[in-house]
Amino acid sequence: MPNPVVRPSSASNGEPLLAIRQLSKQFGGAQALSNVDFELMHGEIHGLVGANGAGKSTLIRVIAGVVRPDAGEIRVDGRPVSIRGPLGAASFGFHFIHQELNLVPKFSARQNMVLGLRKPKRLAVINWRAVEGTLRPIAERLGIDFPLDTPVERLSIANRWLVSIGRALVDSARLVAMDEPTASLSATEVERLFRIIGDLRDEGVAVLYVSHRLAEIQQLCDRATVFKDGQRVATVERGDLTRAALVEAIVGSRADSPSSSPTLKPTADAGHQPGPAVLEVHRLSRPPLVRDVSFTLHRGELLGLAGLVGAGRTETARAVFGADRLTGGSLKLDGRVFRPRSTPDSVKRGLALVPEERRSQGLILQKNVRFNLSLVSLRQLRILRWFPALSMRRLDRQARDIVAKLSIRPERTDTVVSRLSGGNQQKVVIGKWLARRSSVLILDEPTRGVDVSARAEIHRVMRELADSGMGVLVIASEFAELLDCDRVLVMDRGAIVGELRGGDITEQAILRLCYIEDEATA
Amino acid sequence: MPRRRHLTALLFLGKYGTVIGLGLMLVGFSLAAPDAFPTQSNLVNIVNQVSTVAIISVGLTIVLIAGEFDLSIGYQASLAGVLVVGLMVNSGVPAPLAIVATLGFTALIGFVNGFIVTKFGVNALITTLGVGTFVVGINYWYSGGIPIGLGLESNFPDIAQGSILGVPNPILFMAAVSAVLWFVVNRTDLGQQLQAVGGNVEAARLSGIPVDRVKTFAFMISALCAGLTGILLASRIGSAQITGGDGYLLQAFAACFLGSAALREGEFHIVGTLIGVVLVGVAFNGLAIFGAPIYTQYLFTGALLVVSVSLSTVARRLASG
Repeated sequence: MPNPVVRPSSASNGEPLLAIRQLSKQFGGAQALSNVDFELMHGEIHGLVGANGAGKSTLIRVIAGVVRPDAGEIRVDGRPVSIRGPLGAASFGFHFIHQELNLVPKFSARQNMVLGLRKPKRLAVINWRAVEGTLRPIAERLGIDFPLDTPVERLSIANRWLVSIGRALVDSARLVAMDEPTASLSATEVERLFRIIGDLRDEGVAVLYVSHRLAEIQQLCDRATVFKDGQRVATVERGDLTRAALVEAIVGSRADSPSSSPTLKPTADAGHQPGPAVLEVHRLSRPPLVRDVSFTLHRGELLGLAGLVGAGRTETARAVFGADRLTGGSLKLDGRVFRPRSTPDSVKRGLALVPEERRSQGLILQKNVRFNLSLVSLRQLRILRWFPALSMRRLDRQARDIVAKLSIRPERTDTVVSRLSGGNQQKVVIGKWLARRSSVLILDEPTRGVDVSARAEIHRVMRELADSGMGVLVIASEFAELLDCDRVLVMDRGAIVGELRGGDITEQAILRLCYIEDEATA
Repeated sequence: MPRRRHLTALLFLGKYGTVIGLGLMLVGFSLAAPDAFPTQSNLVNIVNQVSTVAIISVGLTIVLIAGEFDLSIGYQASLAGVLVVGLMVNSGVPAPLAIVATLGFTALIGFVNGFIVTKFGVNALITTLGVGTFVVGINYWYSGGIPIGLGLESNFPDIAQGSILGVPNPILFMAAVSAVLWFVVNRTDLGQQLQAVGGNVEAARLSGIPVDRVKTFAFMISALCAGLTGILLASRIGSAQITGGDGYLLQAFAACFLGSAALREGEFHIVGTLIGVVLVGVAFNGLAIFGAPIYTQYLFTGALLVVSVSLSTVARRLASG
């Protein structure tokens, strides 16, 4: 691949654009950022790298004024400031382009580029001709070759990025932060984006570039800062930006330590023999995030699915479960061809999913525990098989059994689930599947935002379900959560890139595999 | 903590305000007009009067529980009246068959509503408004825009005007329909699925609930109830009025939303809807006994609806922080 932007860093005279000292932020009990120092020069492309939850996003959100830090000092152009809300950030010329691109789909590119900005008016009517006057040169600068009145929903992802960047330029941005911009772009589109980012830098705009793709960081950035566990572990200058140095910093240089919770994986070490294959996935695809996924899940197996944010894990799980239509590949369930059609069909065939977002996808929040625990087992709760009347006694007994089994607190079945703690809500989402014999259980981030005791409970239940002969697939972004798996698959850019077994499963080993793809391209 | 106590009081009022209001009204009217209001014949008359609204309202409740809307029910009721009388008078179809055919046709309209909403993903307000307007068209096409009278020898009016053991038939219909729908919602797997779909459609889908089928079922129930209301109305009047059921749409919505504020915290439910229906019926009756002008009935109902639903909404918002 040609390298379009190997130019020396320009315009870094005087005060840095942004200087951060001793920044700290806690969420609940977790230290998202601790004593972070960070500096961003004018006209600098600065990469931010690190594993899931290392602190990159929290830093960005502090700069965006969305999160108030607990402690620390922020200086813009040498002056101490506090950034209050998105409007505050915009007043400093800071712009943020998220992966989801906050554009209005129905609006034209032109409307989106001036969205929320003061527009020239004549007699209270927007003077679009004057707007056009400001947009034209910016569109040319970005090489926009589509008409500006195209609705954004009809533009490609790459062109939507151009609209987003254009919007920042219209508002004369001094800093543009981009979150995983290349996740759904093709190689030529990436090249074009990099050229534009290089131009921005040459004009004195600073770019914060968040990416898991180390090759891109190497190619593009003047400097890169590595985060780990909420701390800044290194800032690497362009000359020293090697893959090895970055991976070392991300993973941590200490030797791979054995699992920190050895008590949790007795079966894995005891030469645990999994049963026959229950789910075989062959070349599953659903672009752009799932490209080519193949793996086999066995009965009695606890299989982990690791990867960095955007690797395509959730999308794989949803496609297997039939929640999203898949575009290619084949599946086998218990040796028989299985084509995911709809969620009711999948559930009937013995698949179960604990979705990523428990509040919006897993629970009927305004209903009680008993109601939520009955949702997937209603047919079994009929008094007579052929008549749809429910036995309320059995419904309640079943709910009480599950509440006891998972130690859901308070120990009642009539609590409205919105009043439960996060951990207990998650137990309800998992618990409803206990009422039904499934052969495959997929759990997407089952322990996210869950307290320590609930976490242990959930791990215990997952292992018990596997031991009972189910195939259990668990997705986690905090790799410590996968240490008690029998096997861990690592996903990157929509494909499985590595596999670890038993004693080889360590956080460092998983993290190394997450970055393995870069070895080939770098 | 005085704030806490205020909040509890407000929540109590939000939840029980409607029922307390009904009680106060019953006591108040009884004391003010002891000879006219609290008589057996007047009370039976009130319930008899509201029974048609009640049937269409409990049907609408099912759709609302499933998280959708149905604006076509009033027009469906009108069409049902025209159709059932027309089939008997114009085509000589025997009454039972005409009734079954009419209910079948409204069920079909409900199915069309459900199909468009679930398969094409069109907003239910637009769908049912469109289908409802189409239904008006069928109505005028079939009737020629002229009310259809029953022959003098017809026994069709007996359906609404007769009684069993002194209880007027419409009250029996209302009781039966309400009981069946209460059972469906609260004691069947379908009812649980209805509530789940209305509560969180994505969670319901990911739990393997056949969302489309459940919603379509809800539209069909509401259509059937609208059809039954239209038939009873035609039977009560003794003829088919072209726009006879149109006004029921707003009355049904008012009853359902009044009911959502009763006993539960903003949830649609069958018993609540019945309370809403009776509340409005009692108010109309009492005001009429005192000879209050017609407009006071509307002022009263409108204010009642807004105040009771606001009260329960505000209470819930404050309670949830």
